[in-house]
Amino acid sequence: MPRAVLRPGRRQVIGGAAAVLATPGIVLAQSGEQLVVNAYGGEFQEVFVKTTIEPFEKKFGVKVIYDDAGSAAEDYAKIRASRGAPGFDVAAELTPPEIFLGARERLLEPLTEREVPNLRHVWAKSRSIIPNTGLVHTYQYTALIWNKKTLEKPDSWADYWNPSAKYGDKVRGRVLNHHPNNLLAIYALIMAAKLKGGGVDNLEPAFAMLRELKPFIGATVQTSAASVPYFENEQVWLSPFWSARAAYYESRDYPFGLTIPKEGTIGLANCGAVPIGARNKKLAFEFLNFRLDADVQRAFNLAYFSSPGRRDITDWPESFKVAQITTEAQMNAIEFPDSEVIGQRRRDWTRRWQEVMA
Amino acid sequence: MRLPFMLAALPAGFLLLFFVIPTAFLLSASFIESDGMVPTGGFTLENFETLLASRLYRSAIIRTFVVGAAVGGLVVLLSYPLAYYLVRTQNRWRNWLIALSLSPLLASVIVRTYGWWVVLNREGVANNTLLTLGLIDQPLALLPSVGAIIVGLAHALLPYGVLTIIASLNGLNPSLEKAAMSLGASRTRTFLSVTLPLTAPGIAGGFLLSFAIAISAYATPAILGGPATEVMATLIRSFMLVQLDWALGSAMAAVLLASAIVLLVITSLMGRRGEQPATAG
Repeated sequence: MPRAVLRPGRRQVIGGAAAVLATPGIVLAQSGEQLVVNAYGGEFQEVFVKTTIEPFEKKFGVKVIYDDAGSAAEDYAKIRASRGAPGFDVAAELTPPEIFLGARERLLEPLTEREVPNLRHVWAKSRSIIPNTGLVHTYQYTALIWNKKTLEKPDSWADYWNPSAKYGDKVRGRVLNHHPNNLLAIYALIMAAKLKGGGVDNLEPAFAMLRELKPFIGATVQTSAASVPYFENEQVWLSPFWSARAAYYESRDYPFGLTIPKEGTIGLANCGAVPIGARNKKLAFEFLNFRLDADVQRAFNLAYFSSPGRRDITDWPESFKVAQITTEAQMNAIEFPDSEVIGQRRRDWTRRWQEVMA
Repeated sequence: MRLPFMLAALPAGFLLLFFVIPTAFLLSASFIESDGMVPTGGFTLENFETLLASRLYRSAIIRTFVVGAAVGGLVVLLSYPLAYYLVRTQNRWRNWLIALSLSPLLASVIVRTYGWWVVLNREGVANNTLLTLGLIDQPLALLPSVGAIIVGLAHALLPYGVLTIIASLNGLNPSLEKAAMSLGASRTRTFLSVTLPLTAPGIAGGFLLSFAIAISAYATPAILGGPATEVMATLIRSFMLVQLDWALGSAMAAVLLASAIVLLVITSLMGRRGEQPATAG
């Protein structure tokens, strides 16, 4: 039998070379599972990777690809545009309005104790403020921050919304305002409305106060991260801010303090979810479960100054207990407005805000 | 016959796949009914009614085109003398000067825009200089403002104006200018009656290019603008990616696209009418 002589053509050679070049990738993909986690960047990423991502990789022997692109709403826009397959397996930092949308549009996986056993440890409130298409892994609240060198500590939301009453004219151009693109602005408007007898159902008093505040506004920003340079270089002195980030900066000797005004505050539930088209759902559920693990919760919340997503951890340091939500009594004192209502009215509120600010 | 078809087919196919089809989807989304940000699928014109009935949104639409026209005009005004000098100079550094004038293209528009932010903000270089010189007592509110957006965009788009006008000046037959001067026309008269009309296509090209890019620009209006200076691009981003109101965002995008096409066609027809006598001459 004559021996066949193999004479590869140019196409075969190119195809073979491509296959050889692609091999390492295939081997890597097959040798260990990968999980794509979408969350915030910046200082959050540093804390999150160290306290949650790296221990998860170590425990499960998998590789986590960190996707730091986008805000919560932008992440949900990707989920919607891709019909539930946005390229990441875990949307680790959504807010309640996106979880409600995910339930209505059926783009997020329902989560039960079967997929996430640690759900049995979460606060009762965590089950009532969002549908089961997400879980609350941490909490924050809406605080006021102020420049400690130039202003006295604010006591009331009125000190922000009507700053001249307490601080006089020196605060003109020194107040920071947030665009309603940021949920922080919506929560601050709700607190303003409450000062005048309104609330989520009637935000008109807040827009009247915004009109009064306008001459005192020195800058308007779209994201809380964007406001930090203004505080760092002391261009602005007073602003609403998320408690965790503010406390994180305060601990690093930034020139501002953090306080909860006497009228109370609104809580922010930081949520995690799994898009319906996630490639690695099993591992995504494991990740959400791991995020609620007691040790992981302790490490992350102590480092990021946020409040835990589970109720059964009691051995917090005293300073942490004072500033964070660690007991049922503290949790019950925090208000959580109806996020479904916020979602439905946000467009109109944004337009009203724009009309006042234009 | 087959080769030109093949050559055109590739870019045409690319445009069809990545521009025409997505744009068609976008336009169709603008007619979709939505309930609390969730598209429900029914047909409606309500999104356009919402946009056009609101003074806020109408102002943003008008502001977008005012910014586009101002940027186009400023780019032409600034780039014409620069291009004229670069084409006519005998300086041995001429090529370096051309490269230098195009160098802004090497830096990201974000970097350049933040450069303007550093200059124009309340505690910025401009205010500090004016305060130091004693020309002002209080910092001026230079940001956010429509003026800052126009300056930032004009700076970013200047190279496009320089390139189109240099091309036009290079195509000008120098003997026409010499003929005009030999017949007694002054330098100014020669420039106004010969050079300027014959380079009108370059001016129109620079204006149109800058205008088209400026009306759809997002980064510069987002950084140098504020709540009182919203333009269509910043509103579209807000509708689509923050409020997740895709129907209204698509309607705004459709308005931007349609009005831009109409304005560009009108401007280009005007440019062609202006071009005819010069060509004939």
